[in-house]
Amino acid sequence: MTDTIETKDEGAGMKQGHALDLKLPIGWLLGGYGALLTVYGLLTKKETYAVSLGINVNLIWGILMLVVGGGFLLAAFLKKTRG
Amino acid sequence: MVITLNAVDYAIILGYILVMVLVGYALKKYMKTGEDFFLSGRSLPQWITGLAFLSANLGALEIIGMVANSAKYGIATVHFYWVGAIPAMVFLGVFMMPFYYGSRVRTVPEYLKLRYNEATRGLNAISFAIMTVLMSGISLYAMALLFKLMLGWPLTQSILVAAVVVLLYVFWGGLSSSIYNEVIQFFLIWLGLLPIVFLGLKQVGGFAGFTARIQETLLHSIKYLGTSNNPLGVDWFGVVMGLGFVLSFGYWTTDFLVVQRALASKNLNAARMTPIVAAFPKMLVPIIVVIPGLVALLVLPEFAPAALPTADYNSALILLMKHYLPNGLLGLAITALLASFMSGMAGNVTAFNTIWTYDIYGTYIRKGRPDAHYLKVGRYTTVVGIAISVGTAYIVKSFPNLMDYMQLIFSFFNAPLFATFLLGMFWKKATAWGGFWGLLVGILTAAGHFLLYKLGFLNYHSDMAANFYQAIWAWTADFVVTIGVSLFTAKRDPKELVGLVFGLTPKPKAEARWYARPAVWGTVAVIVAVVLNVIFW
Repeated sequence: MTDTIETKDEGAGMKQGHALDLKLPIGWLLGGYGALLTVYGLLTKKETYAVSLGINVNLIWGILMLVVGGGFLLAAFLKKTRG
Repeated sequence: MVITLNAVDYAIILGYILVMVLVGYALKKYMKTGEDFFLSGRSLPQWITGLAFLSANLGALEIIGMVANSAKYGIATVHFYWVGAIPAMVFLGVFMMPFYYGSRVRTVPEYLKLRYNEATRGLNAISFAIMTVLMSGISLYAMALLFKLMLGWPLTQSILVAAVVVLLYVFWGGLSSSIYNEVIQFFLIWLGLLPIVFLGLKQVGGFAGFTARIQETLLHSIKYLGTSNNPLGVDWFGVVMGLGFVLSFGYWTTDFLVVQRALASKNLNAARMTPIVAAFPKMLVPIIVVIPGLVALLVLPEFAPAALPTADYNSALILLMKHYLPNGLLGLAITALLASFMSGMAGNVTAFNTIWTYDIYGTYIRKGRPDAHYLKVGRYTTVVGIAISVGTAYIVKSFPNLMDYMQLIFSFFNAPLFATFLLGMFWKKATAWGGFWGLLVGILTAAGHFLLYKLGFLNYHSDMAANFYQAIWAWTADFVVTIGVSLFTAKRDPKELVGLVFGLTPKPKAEARWYARPAVWGTVAVIVAVVLNVIFW
């Protein structure tokens, strides 16, 4: 039984198998959504936000998703350069 | 209540479908053996299997149903999380996973074969295969129905498009595709639904708004459980034994759909941590279901006190999306629901694949072929499984209440199975035929109870109470019969049971460092769940 901690996660030294890093598609998808919502939020007029209590939620949430998506891409990038 | 989407919403929906198909295609080249396809090559890190473990259960039906429950039963809905999930998840990780993962079985029925006999495996494999295609059909039909009502998309086309997308990525990437989709869905669900929570809380004036304007009985989880005279219609015994013990342990510890995610882990410690990693976000799910349910009572005219007797609780979440979200975020919330329907379906299809190929085809139809043969069978079973799901989607169409139907299936198959597992893993005197007869009588007891209830010989305060007690009876029957038959049938040689039963299995020597140990994190999870229960008493 290999009941020990591996210091490297799913990096190069692991048993081969699924080397596709899931952080990349998550990062691109969420980051892409963030960019789209941010731009859309900047372009839309105030009337669009009558439903959301007058708050431009597309802009706020878009920026948040850019940050989250960017975080995943950064983590994937750091792992790649280190590993 | 038709919602109009614009180009931005559609771009978000299409972006998701595109990414899923591309991920499936990218995984294709890693699928060289049966283990790769059915168990992700046992290579995934614990954060991925943990989130997938949680998301496999966080289907759209679950979310829509739990928002509905929260509007109907109030804060008591948290029992489905803090009582009805956390203890079972921790138990699976700390006590049961060493036998599942340690014995290197590939499926839950395969464990039953090693521990009991071929007949027990066959009974479980066949009933599970039927259950998964029914569940997969439910996901498919519910999704199509929702999109028809919400967006005006035609029913048949919605079913076919979703089926083709799921087919493409599961066919290429097997369990890995399914798991990756679940992890992506996990983030989409939170990001898609949290804006509703924030806007709702802002409008009603935070928690103070709830306490000022919602009736007292809906705002406590435990205070009114002394008798069954509460919104839930169930007393504390039903909640603790039926939901907290039998149904929850039955689902979380024996349902191959969730256990398969832990088996895909790269080592035993990661496998044991999988359900425990999942336990922490699971405790937080009430944020995105209970708060919207309570907000619905205060802001939607459809749920005003006068309209309540005829209110369609299942529409609460969709109405809130329409109420609060502008185009843009609306597309994101719809994508989150779409993702969770598709991953619900993909999860069932991959579980069906594996059980069919290993436990039915590879055992009874074509034994002992080379691995490449089973890999091929697995791929083509995906096509068959999805085709059957499309068929069952049209059968499900004739059932009026989907949630009841799902709970019913669980209390039939999972509740008795948990007794079989508990005795199998922790009582070495349980015999091969004891296991088989216990399981069979358990399933028949559930069926008998269901008939008596439907024919009016048994009465409960609510359908939910009936489900809880059905599970308790089925479990007890299995437990008693397994022990009874075991006392009179031939015992198994203890040497054959090493690695399968507690007490006959040597403890692993190299334990992880203390901060990575399942027992440590499991204890933390239980303590946090107790504290949450006390806060919302």
